[in-house]
Amino acid sequence: MSNQYQPVLSTAGAETLPDLDHLLDADTFTAPDVPWHVLVWNDPVNLMSYVSYVFRSYFGYDRAKAEKLMMTVHTEGKATVFTGSKEEAERHTSALHTWGLWATFERAES
Amino acid sequence: MAQGFKSTPRGYTARFTPEEVQVLTQLFEDVALTLEPDEEAATDPLADLVGISENAQIPTDPALARMLPVASNDPEMADEFRRFTELSLRRGKIANLNMAAMDARSGDLALDAEHAHAWATALNDVRLTLATRLELKTEKDAARISQMTEWKDVETTDQYMALLYNFITWLQDSLMEAMLSQLDD
Repeated sequence: MSNQYQPVLSTAGAETLPDLDHLLDADTFTAPDVPWHVLVWNDPVNLMSYVSYVFRSYFGYDRAKAEKLMMTVHTEGKATVFTGSKEEAERHTSALHTWGLWATFERAES
Repeated sequence: MAQGFKSTPRGYTARFTPEEVQVLTQLFEDVALTLEPDEEAATDPLADLVGISENAQIPTDPALARMLPVASNDPEMADEFRRFTELSLRRGKIANLNMAAMDARSGDLALDAEHAHAWATALNDVRLTLATRLELKTEKDAARISQMTEWKDVETTDQYMALLYNFITWLQDSLMEAMLSQLDD
């Protein structure tokens, strides 16, 4: 008799837990396919030659792309220099801080 | 009078007078000292070993706040990022500044790629520090400060700092142009 009760419990558990996971996912975790951006902000100190050099040597961007990004930072106040996973975005932000650029990371607007 | 950086077969060369050597080493060492982590902040040796700060906060010194910037507009995310990255960021910058200070002493430089990289970031951190002390915030401030280029015009501490700032700016730009010339197009 006592054995009859257990399957009910375990079934209930199996149905409830995934729901809870789903709820947690939606509230506190980011879906893995939502991209993140790394932004570089303008300041009146960093030299154009320096910023171009960082974009070329660190990201491996060619001269045209690096200079276009540098000019976007300069004229528009900021530029998105990288889009990808959160982990990569954090790593690039940290590297750009080592270079002395004013970089931030954020979730891309969907 | 200094000779700015040039790309040569011997590496990135530059030459400084003894007075310039003194100014450069002093600036590199001062900024390195500013970046030293708080002794009290690093109390857990294991956390310290793996480079985690237990209690990292936005620095109150504006020069430090610029060199160790806020990484996210989400305060919680920014805090966590700082906890995990600030200590290694400080140590990396200090290492580059110390390397540049050692190199500067000879007055006659021929830098390989590793040392040139250290100089590029060290000169940048010196400029970021001087710029905050000079309250350089806008392009207009930058234009005003860039006019101070003559020793004979220096009468105040700010004018002296502006002169140093312009010297370091000129030096860094010569290095970056030389380093850019070595990249493939």
